[in-house]
Amino acid sequence: MSSYIASLVSVIGINLILALGLNIITGFCGQVSLGHAAFYGLGAYTAAYLAKLGAPLPVTLLAGTAMAGAIGVVVGLTSLRVRHDFLAVTTMGIGFVFLGFVRKQKWLGGELGISGIPGSGLDPVSYALLIVAFAAAVLGFCLWIKHSWMGFTFDAVADDEDAARTVGVDVSIYKLTAFGIGTALAGLAGGLYIYFARIILPDTFDFVQSIAILTMVVIGGTGSVWGVFAATVALTLLPEVSRAAADYRLLIFGAMLMLVMRFSPGGLAGLARRRLA
Amino acid sequence: MLFAELIVKGLVYGCMYAMMAVGLTLVYGLLRILHIAHAGVFALGAYMTVVVTNATGSLALGFLVAVVVSAAAGTAIYRLAYQPILHHSAFVPMVVSIGLFIVMQEAFRMIFGAYGIAFDNNPWYVANVDLAGINLTYVEIAMVIMSVVLLVGFGLFAGLTRVGIGWRATVSDPQMATSFGVDAVRVRYVNFLFGSALAGIAGGLVGLLNNYVEPTMGGSVSYKALAIVVLGGLGSVRGTLVASLVLGVVEAFGAIYLADIFDRDAIGFLFLIAVLMVRPQGLLGRSSGK
Amino acid sequence: MNTLARIDDLHISFGGVAAVNGISFTVGQGELVALIGPNGAGKTTALRMVAGILRPDRGHVFFDERDVTNLPTHTRVRLGLGFTHQIVRPFYGFTTVENVMLAAGHHQTESPWRALASRSRTAAREKAQSILERTGLATQSSQSPRALPLGQRKRLEVARALALDPKLLLLDEPLAGLSSAEATTMADLVRALSAQGITVVLVEHNLGEVLRIADRLVVLDAGKVLAEGPPKDVMARSDVRQAYTGVI
Repeated sequence: MSSYIASLVSVIGINLILALGLNIITGFCGQVSLGHAAFYGLGAYTAAYLAKLGAPLPVTLLAGTAMAGAIGVVVGLTSLRVRHDFLAVTTMGIGFVFLGFVRKQKWLGGELGISGIPGSGLDPVSYALLIVAFAAAVLGFCLWIKHSWMGFTFDAVADDEDAARTVGVDVSIYKLTAFGIGTALAGLAGGLYIYFARIILPDTFDFVQSIAILTMVVIGGTGSVWGVFAATVALTLLPEVSRAAADYRLLIFGAMLMLVMRFSPGGLAGLARRRLA
Repeated sequence: MLFAELIVKGLVYGCMYAMMAVGLTLVYGLLRILHIAHAGVFALGAYMTVVVTNATGSLALGFLVAVVVSAAAGTAIYRLAYQPILHHSAFVPMVVSIGLFIVMQEAFRMIFGAYGIAFDNNPWYVANVDLAGINLTYVEIAMVIMSVVLLVGFGLFAGLTRVGIGWRATVSDPQMATSFGVDAVRVRYVNFLFGSALAGIAGGLVGLLNNYVEPTMGGSVSYKALAIVVLGGLGSVRGTLVASLVLGVVEAFGAIYLADIFDRDAIGFLFLIAVLMVRPQGLLGRSSGK
Repeated sequence: MNTLARIDDLHISFGGVAAVNGISFTVGQGELVALIGPNGAGKTTALRMVAGILRPDRGHVFFDERDVTNLPTHTRVRLGLGFTHQIVRPFYGFTTVENVMLAAGHHQTESPWRALASRSRTAAREKAQSILERTGLATQSSQSPRALPLGQRKRLEVARALALDPKLLLLDEPLAGLSSAEATTMADLVRALSAQGITVVLVEHNLGEVLRIADRLVVLDAGKVLAEGPPKDVMARSDVRQAYTGVI
């Protein structure tokens, strides 16, 4: 594997973990989250800070995952208080608050972020394979959830919360669980990212990034694990395959979001279902 | 004097936010959609103002074109992007709106350049006046006057004219309204026309204020306008107005006192989140009554 | 006879108007109790307070000796309460049998971690199918609730509540909107459930069917209990007839 391919595979792996995590929150459990990049950033910053202090890779990854998951549960608590429509703006707000905080903190590098992050100790190809291993585990985990009673219950919560309560479902705990798992995964992605990039900037974790992740989920088909997988791979490869696509990356993302939701809200998975039906 | 100055500046910004936020509230109240693409209409208004003013030398003409183009664009967005998908859950139009906003931003970048454009000749940029010891530029004053005039005008329209009353009826009970002969579709068009026109004017004013118009300018204002709409209680115009002014003032103070901890954009959202934790229905929203 | 549930001096107001103004009654094990009364009497509101969907301003709800007044609905369900909505709320994204399966698997859904560890839906499916048979919905099991007429959706609502193995079933106007033939079938179903030992409290307007199946009536008027007792005795009272018709 050349180092270019290793790099590509690494990015796909990280994006997969991000998109699948958001899919659990929004796709499985029906909770809108427009601030997912903040948890990606939380994981990255936590891991980077510890890495520069000399902590080894397993510790930094764990810390990033745990931090993002913990804050995610706290944010999940806000989702319990506010109505559906408010949630979109609240989660968007979380993203801006995170960014606004991090940009001002000198000890986190301010606008310049954190640079000089130590290497993972692995060569690029091995590291790429590590990322793939994690991504595969996450994929497997999502499929497990989907076919378990947790997935069944998430479906009910997403369908009709109040009806779910009348069949004994503790809706609040399930929502918090979805948030916790999804955001922890974003934190994991952040931790993996830092060794790949060796430098992190606040702008990497902005609203546009949150939307980019949402795009992968939406185009794949919110809730469909394989759909999100396919969409993430395709959307990550697109700028690599086409020079034009790279220059107009944002335009294409926006256009795809618009067109897919307008004409096939079920995304790729919805199209596939209709073809096979 | 700093205190008073902060309040006044806060109110000025609050007026600008109000012009944006009212358009958003109108759409939400009627259709339950978070019209994020509204930010694109705002930027469109700004670009039109600059381009036409620079081409013709007349600021008035620039504003006029901005209003017309923005209103048309907003209405087109409703007709082409939202109307066909209203039967889906609210998530779908919101995502379409996000996509549309990104496309509009990129279009501005591709057509007008990434670094923005400015007025060739903008005397308003520096012209200022001292009112009771507080320094205000003419544009800031114009912003306050414009927003007051427009919003009061809208209030009168909604309260006194047949179309306005029909609009209010449709917002509170669409089925009842149509059974009384109110044309729901026309109400929607009026809604988008007016809200988008307001955004266009706001865009032009901000362009004058900063003497600079760039592709992502819609973002910051729009996100705050969304926060305001939620803060005011989603769908309540009065709540939106109050929240706009409150946010403007909170931001002005926050930018000074919290400068070391959070940047300006974050302050508004921080305030929103704090309020929602205490009052999940927003400042003036009605509580859902469990 | 054991008292299964006790409703004690419930009060609730909406916007300054007292909807329920001091309602108390008991429900004995195995009884089929009907809450009746003219429109606006507070019947549905009272039932929703027993279910936990509304919290009273004052008063208590006791279930199986426990004070459940401040417990959320899902906890009351786990203690043995089943509830059906007046306006049916099936999971439209699920098929009929899946609707019942989720309830049938209530042990698995108790906590997210137990849910995560449970994969098999076979037992729940079997239980759901048998409940669908009991409620006359066996042939509709793979259909979407959207495809079902109202009468069947109402039966689905009951089936789903049944799958929770409830000790007490709260039915909010189960006969509303049904044709007279459908209403009789539904009333018979409710009577059959009661005969199987499930305690039932229902709110209903359809007096004809109610008088036929209920063991005991509790008459509400203007947020208060007006009368209670066996159907014949209660309906013979002039104050009850007046509350309904305004005529002595």
